[in-house]
Amino acid sequence: MHTTEVDVAVIGGGPAGLAAVTSAKNAGAERVLLIERDERLGGILNQCIHDGFGTKVLGESITGPEYAQIYIDKLQEAKADFCLNTMVLDLTPEKVLTVCSAEGMRRIKAGAVVLAMGCRERTRGALGIPGPRPAGVYTAGVVQNYMNLRNIMVGRQVVILGSGDIGLIMARRLTLEGAKVECVAEILPYPSGLARNVVQCLEDFGIPLYLSTTVTRIHGTGRVKGVTLAQVGPKWGVKSGSQRFVECDTLMLSVGLIPENELSKKAGVALSPVTGGAIVDDWFQTSVPGIFSCGNVLHVHDVVDYVTLEAEAAGRSAARYAAAGSLPSSPIKVKPGQGVRYVLPYQISGEDAVEFSLRALAPEKDRHVVFRSNGQVIRKMRELMVAPAQMIRVKLRADRFPKEGEITVEVTE
Amino acid sequence: MKGELICAVCPVGCHVTAEWNETDLLDVQQAACKLAWPYIRSEIFDPRRVVTSSVPVVGGEIPLVSVKTDSPVPKDRMRDVMQSLAQVTVQAPVNVGDVVVSNILGLGANIRATKRIKKVS
Ligand SMILES: Cc1cc2nc3c(=O)[nH]c(=O)nc-3n(C[C@H](O)[C@H](O)[C@H](O)COP(=O)(O)OP(=O)(O)OC[C@H]3O[C@@H](n4cnc5c(N)ncnc54)[C@H](O)[C@@H]3O)c2cc1C
Repeated sequence: MHTTEVDVAVIGGGPAGLAAVTSAKNAGAERVLLIERDERLGGILNQCIHDGFGTKVLGESITGPEYAQIYIDKLQEAKADFCLNTMVLDLTPEKVLTVCSAEGMRRIKAGAVVLAMGCRERTRGALGIPGPRPAGVYTAGVVQNYMNLRNIMVGRQVVILGSGDIGLIMARRLTLEGAKVECVAEILPYPSGLARNVVQCLEDFGIPLYLSTTVTRIHGTGRVKGVTLAQVGPKWGVKSGSQRFVECDTLMLSVGLIPENELSKKAGVALSPVTGGAIVDDWFQTSVPGIFSCGNVLHVHDVVDYVTLEAEAAGRSAARYAAAGSLPSSPIKVKPGQGVRYVLPYQISGEDAVEFSLRALAPEKDRHVVFRSNGQVIRKMRELMVAPAQMIRVKLRADRFPKEGEITVEVTE
Repeated sequence: MKGELICAVCPVGCHVTAEWNETDLLDVQQAACKLAWPYIRSEIFDPRRVVTSSVPVVGGEIPLVSVKTDSPVPKDRMRDVMQSLAQVTVQAPVNVGDVVVSNILGLGANIRATKRIKKVS
C-alpha cells in the first residue's frame, strides 16, 4: 500500500479539526494534513443554521455555517492541506493511519496525530423504548440534517423526548416550518439544554416542557401513531396511573451525544468512563504519546468557542511534539471532588497556566468552585448558577500549582 | 413591576430579577455582566429575535442555502418572515453575507446568506 509521511495529521474537519490543523501549521509544523470523510469542511456546524456561535472568541453571535467559514478561511490563509471524502479506517499506536477514498486505500505515517472526530447521537436502541418499530422515529441531529441540508420535512405532529440543545433548537425549527410540536418530555427533574434555548425555542412558541417524564411506549404500525408518556419518580420508576397517550406522527429523540472514539480505541488510547472521551493532560496529549484529542470527541461541548480554543492548544502541542519527539511530563493529578461530574485535564505538567473545564453534578444557585492542592485552597470563585448543561471554565496561573501531588476541584456552598 | 427573566445574550443564561414601570427598566439584579441590561429592556418592551432558516438554491452543489435576518425582528413577526421566505429561491453561486431579500416586510432587516454555495453545471 502507498505510504506518505506528514508531521501532523488531524482526523475530522469540524471546528476542532479546522482550528487544530491551522494552529499546528502556524506553530511551525511543515507538512500538516486534515482528513475529513464528508464532502465539505465544517462538521456539524454546516447543519447548525441557527445563531448563537462565536460570542466568546468573536464577541458577536453568528450562525454555525458562518462560524465554520471563518475558520475555513483561516486554514486556507495558513496554507494547511486537507482532503475531503476521505475516511480514516485505522490508527496504530505508532501513528500510522489507514485511509480510504475514491482513489483507494493508502497509509499515512504521522509525527503527531490530533483526534477531532466529534460525536454521534444516542439512538432509540440505546434507550430501549418498548413497542413496535414504525417509521417516524428520528434523532434530532438527523432531523436537522434532513431539514437544513436536504429540504426534507420529517413530520407534522411531533413529540420530543429529551431536552438536549439539539432537540430544543429543532423544536423551534419544526414549529417555524409549520409542524405542531406537542411537547418535550425530559426524564430528569431539570432541562438538560441551556436556559436560553428553553426560553427562545420552547417558551417563545408555547411548547410545553414536561420534566420527570419519559416515553414508555411507541405506538403504530407502518408509521408512528402516538406515544405513551409517563411520570417518573425519584428512582426513575414509572409512577403508576401517570401514563397518558399523546397522538403524533413523529418522535424525535434528543437524548445525548457519544464521542466517536472507535479509532482512539484501536490506537490504545485510554478513555474516561464519565465523558466517553480520552484522558488527556494539559497538552491535550492522550495516554498514547504523540496522539492528541480535542473538541466533542474529547468531551461534549455546548459552546463551539471553547472547542476552538481547546483545539488551537492541541494543534500547538502536536506541532511541538512532531518537532521535538516528546513533551514535558505531567506529574500533577487533577481529581473531581464533591459536586463535580468531571474536570479536564486529568493531569498537568505545571509548566504553564491551565484553563480547566468542568461540569457540575446538579443545577444549583450560588455556589463556589474551589481548587485545592494538597489540602490548601489555591483558587476559589463564586458562580451565581451552576448546571450540568453549562461547562465551567477556570484559568489558573502556573505559580498556583504544586510541584507534584494532587489538585482536587469541588463545587460547594 | 417585578419579574424573573433569563438573559439569553450568551450561553451562561443568567437568571435575573428585573424591575420596571410603564416606560423604563429600573433595575436588574443577579446578572453576571452589563450586557443583560439592554437585552432585558428589549425583552420587556420590544422583544426581538434573529430568524434563521434556509431557502432553495438553483444550480448549487447542495439544494439549500442557510439564511438569517441581519438584525433581530419583532418576536411576533417571526412567522410572517418565515412565510415570506417560503416564496424565495436563489441562484448559485452564493457567498456568506449576500443579501437574499432586502428590508424584509419593511421590518428594517435584510435576509442574508450564511453559507457559501458553489455553482455546479
Ligand atoms: C445541534 C447542535 C447545536 C449546537 N448549537 C450551538 C450553539 O448555539 N452555540 C455554540 O457555541 N455551540 C453549539 N453547538 C456545539 C458545537 O457546534 C459543537 O461542540 C462543535 O461543532 C464540535 O466540533 P467538533 O469539531 O469537535 O465536531 P464535529 O463538528 O462533529 O466534527 C467532526 C468531524 O469529524 C469527521 N470525522 C469523524 N470521524 C472521521 C473519520 N474516521 N475520518 C474522517 N473524518 C471523520 C466528521 O465527518 C465531522 O465532520 C451545537 C452542537 C449541535 C450538535
